[in-house]
Amino acid sequence: MASEERKKEILEALRHGVIQYDEDSVKEAAQAALDEGIDPNEAIFDGLVSGMEEVGRLFEAQEYFVPELLMSADALYVGLDILKPHVQKMDLGVKGSVVIGTVEGDVHDIGKNIVKMMFDVAGFTVYDLGRDVPLDKFIEEQIKTDSDLVCLSAMMTTTMVGMQKIIETLKAKNPNVKIMIGGAPVSKEIAEKWGADGYAPDASNALKEAINMVSALKKLREESQAKSSPASPSK
Amino acid sequence: MSPAPLKRHLLSSGATLVGVGDATEALSADILHLKRAVAIALNRGLNRQTVTLLAGLQREAEEWLKKRGFRFLSIPPDSDRRGGKFISRLYELFSHKTAATCSGLGWVGKSGLIINELYGPRLSWATVLTDAPLSPDPPITSSRCGQCDLCVKYCPSGAISGRNWSRREPFAEFVSYEKCRALKGRRACFEEKPNCGLCINICPYARLDIWKGALPP
Repeated sequence: MASEERKKEILEALRHGVIQYDEDSVKEAAQAALDEGIDPNEAIFDGLVSGMEEVGRLFEAQEYFVPELLMSADALYVGLDILKPHVQKMDLGVKGSVVIGTVEGDVHDIGKNIVKMMFDVAGFTVYDLGRDVPLDKFIEEQIKTDSDLVCLSAMMTTTMVGMQKIIETLKAKNPNVKIMIGGAPVSKEIAEKWGADGYAPDASNALKEAINMVSALKKLREESQAKSSPASPSK
Repeated sequence: MSPAPLKRHLLSSGATLVGVGDATEALSADILHLKRAVAIALNRGLNRQTVTLLAGLQREAEEWLKKRGFRFLSIPPDSDRRGGKFISRLYELFSHKTAATCSGLGWVGKSGLIINELYGPRLSWATVLTDAPLSPDPPITSSRCGQCDLCVKYCPSGAISGRNWSRREPFAEFVSYEKCRALKGRRACFEEKPNCGLCINICPYARLDIWKGALPP
């Protein structure tokens, strides 16, 4: 077992490696984390994801540009590749499934792939519809998989209008489904105006939002189940 | 900022040629800040070792720039493009041909290949775009193939149209890649190789060293 100090050092190395888009040092630090018995979950979320958060901040501050963002995501992936097979049942308190895709006409799905990766690591079952997904497909897939969460992403203003339509249709069919939208031109105000439950400007926020939303949803369901059939045992 | 130290570093690490080009005119929105293209060329047959060495040189350039606080985007050698990476989405944004011509290391020959005066079309290329304000080399903006049409004549699939390249006509077609590829399908002996490569062998610029040796001093 690594000492607290050593653990801190390794987590910092993971974080720094992602920020500096240095795949080699991420690889090295991830291997060290495994060898020295650091909890892979912790290595992922307090190391890699923490670094990615900083990258997001640098991107917003226009210190980083698209190439840096992508190279950092690649470095994050290198770390995940090493750590993920060793992740034991993630203790996030919630589990869920999510339907994800970019809206019809939108081919900018890099953001979506990062969000997907994070859901995956957090133990969600991810149904990825890919890019250029026709509107109806989201609804179809949600019904088919009975997913708790539908995650829509668009990077261009022209496709944003399409998302409003999906949200309305999905909500009409199943008022309990949680919908999260994200992508560059989508703001919190727009998300609220359209009736989406979450807004995810970047991958790590998407994860937090998702966990919050699914946990809220489960609670809601449990409550409604308890109310409607107090005699039957809960699942 | 003088590019000499970076060039020296790469040449001493094994690069055959290194040039710095002003890439401003060829940049798309996501990479507008990367105004300089560092073109790295290696004069070796295309084999695994060449690709490894070229990829290594590219890393050297990246590290050199990173150490000095500059941003970069590497466009790897054509035969070293691993898919599945996020960054690989950006590889299409800039071509080695643009890097080579804007840094004055070559022009686009009738064969569609980058031709260098000394090494002809026998170079393998890697490009590193950067925001380091390196002074650019003078570009080459039009073909120096002249009247030579050996590659046009010898091309077994008649794929080469024979027109001369100029930077002013960026979308002209020099080679019918469909015809070029079709030959590969017909001849079993090319199975292991990307193409027949006659246009590389026939180019007189690649043979200047041979000719020079034949000439009296």
